[in-house]
Amino acid sequence: MNNTPLYFEDVEFGDDIGPIIKEVSDQAVIDFVSIREPESEPSRFTSKEVAQSQGLPEAIVPGAMNIALMSQLLTGWSDNVSLLKLDVVFRKTVPHNTPLKFSGIITDKDESGSNNLECDITMENEEGVKLVIGNALIHLPNRP
Amino acid sequence: MTTDEGIVYDRSLLGKENEIGTFEVSLKMITEFAKSTGETYPKYLGNDANIPVVAPPTICNLFVGGSRPDIKLEFGEVSFFAGQSIESKADIKPGDNLTATTKLDHVYSKTGRSGKMVFAVWQTQFKNQNNEIVALVNESFVTRNK
Amino acid sequence: MLLDLHTHSTASDDSRASIEQYIKWIHILRKKGNEIDGFVVTDHRQFDHDVNYESVSKENGITILKGAELDTDTGHFLVYGITEKITSIINFADVTMSAQKLVDVCDTYGAIAFPAHPGRAGIGFAHYLDNGVKGFETVKTAELLNGSNRPGEGEKAEELIQSKGYNATGGSDAHIVSAIGTCMTLFESNITNETELVTALRSGSFEAVRMDKK
Repeated sequence: MNNTPLYFEDVEFGDDIGPIIKEVSDQAVIDFVSIREPESEPSRFTSKEVAQSQGLPEAIVPGAMNIALMSQLLTGWSDNVSLLKLDVVFRKTVPHNTPLKFSGIITDKDESGSNNLECDITMENEEGVKLVIGNALIHLPNRP
Repeated sequence: MTTDEGIVYDRSLLGKENEIGTFEVSLKMITEFAKSTGETYPKYLGNDANIPVVAPPTICNLFVGGSRPDIKLEFGEVSFFAGQSIESKADIKPGDNLTATTKLDHVYSKTGRSGKMVFAVWQTQFKNQNNEIVALVNESFVTRNK
Repeated sequence: MLLDLHTHSTASDDSRASIEQYIKWIHILRKKGNEIDGFVVTDHRQFDHDVNYESVSKENGITILKGAELDTDTGHFLVYGITEKITSIINFADVTMSAQKLVDVCDTYGAIAFPAHPGRAGIGFAHYLDNGVKGFETVKTAELLNGSNRPGEGEKAEELIQSKGYNATGGSDAHIVSAIGTCMTLFESNITNETELVTALRSGSFEAVRMDKK
């Protein structure tokens, strides 16, 4: 959470968003998948055995959870940010219990009055391999 | 190019609208979603009585899951979520009832680090109880061998 | 002349960058003191003869050319100098096409095709050679530097290129705007169109370089 207000005028092409480092615990994944299905069966998201039976080395973070984490990079940049569109591509499965680096960069600024900004966003593992890439359209208000 | 030439699946699903269902968005669901994903804003966590709760922008992802029709793809052993674009059109609040409809947009194949893969792309629309579109979602699922 | 030989636009299913966004980003890169003269759009499994970047190239002082990245039975191949004759013979959407046929057709009709990210598992040329694939005597070039390589993939590409004595290119394999130009190819000659690009690639007078970002 960032309580420092950020305004459209404060942001320039090429400005960095983050990076922030997060790690998704086994328990966080169990909590996430239990929201809709409290009695859910072990799955590739919660069980190493099930994951391995599907050709994965270990349990993975659900895609929907990864998307939520990607969105937080932007909404967490400032309370003023409105996330209008998020568009991501999964390039590699995301493991639990490992540091994940989320970063973004402003790639376009619409000066015509919409106050919209475009940015690239990525999630990388410790080796710098991009696990998730994408872009987003966000909105910032004008400075009062 | 996104051709489905040579891929065996149920082509009758292409472009056909399917009702997925209606889902109530409870306060508990929003706060659990926020907590499990490490949110810190009170507007999502509901831990400040002075701040009205809204759902994090990607909460719609909770509702569709495995409810899409089976495309009867004759290829591959395992499927994964491959990507998504989600467009937020309006806030989702506790007590909202969301209705989801989805349609198969296209199917195509390509090759990657894990060999041949087939992708199915779905377009899903979420409306609230006031018939207002709250989110437009394009999702891609990949099927491949283990 | 510095060209990024491997980029994807939104026409590729897994890319989120438009040509207009790449252009804006290159202006930003240049403003910061980075050198990049242009790029080649190599979208996956397709080629659009009707798209013409000539005027937008001139307006922006950025050379924008067209190629393709194709899925083949021997990994992914980059193709430059594509003509209508070539697309009438080769189905670009066929993910199991014969790479040998692609190379031969390109050799015959004034284009060039060579392995993209050859060290990549599953879709890298080097792995197919390891598994006994033969032929490809006319291939003299391969992509050495690829901005999307994972650990080990660049080393495998380098090993192949050194053992075969190939000429080495570089390309970012950009799928998002800010990735463009991370790897490029430095040409001795000036290149203004696809024919000149093919000539330059066949001459061997180029080297793969990384952008030292400022």
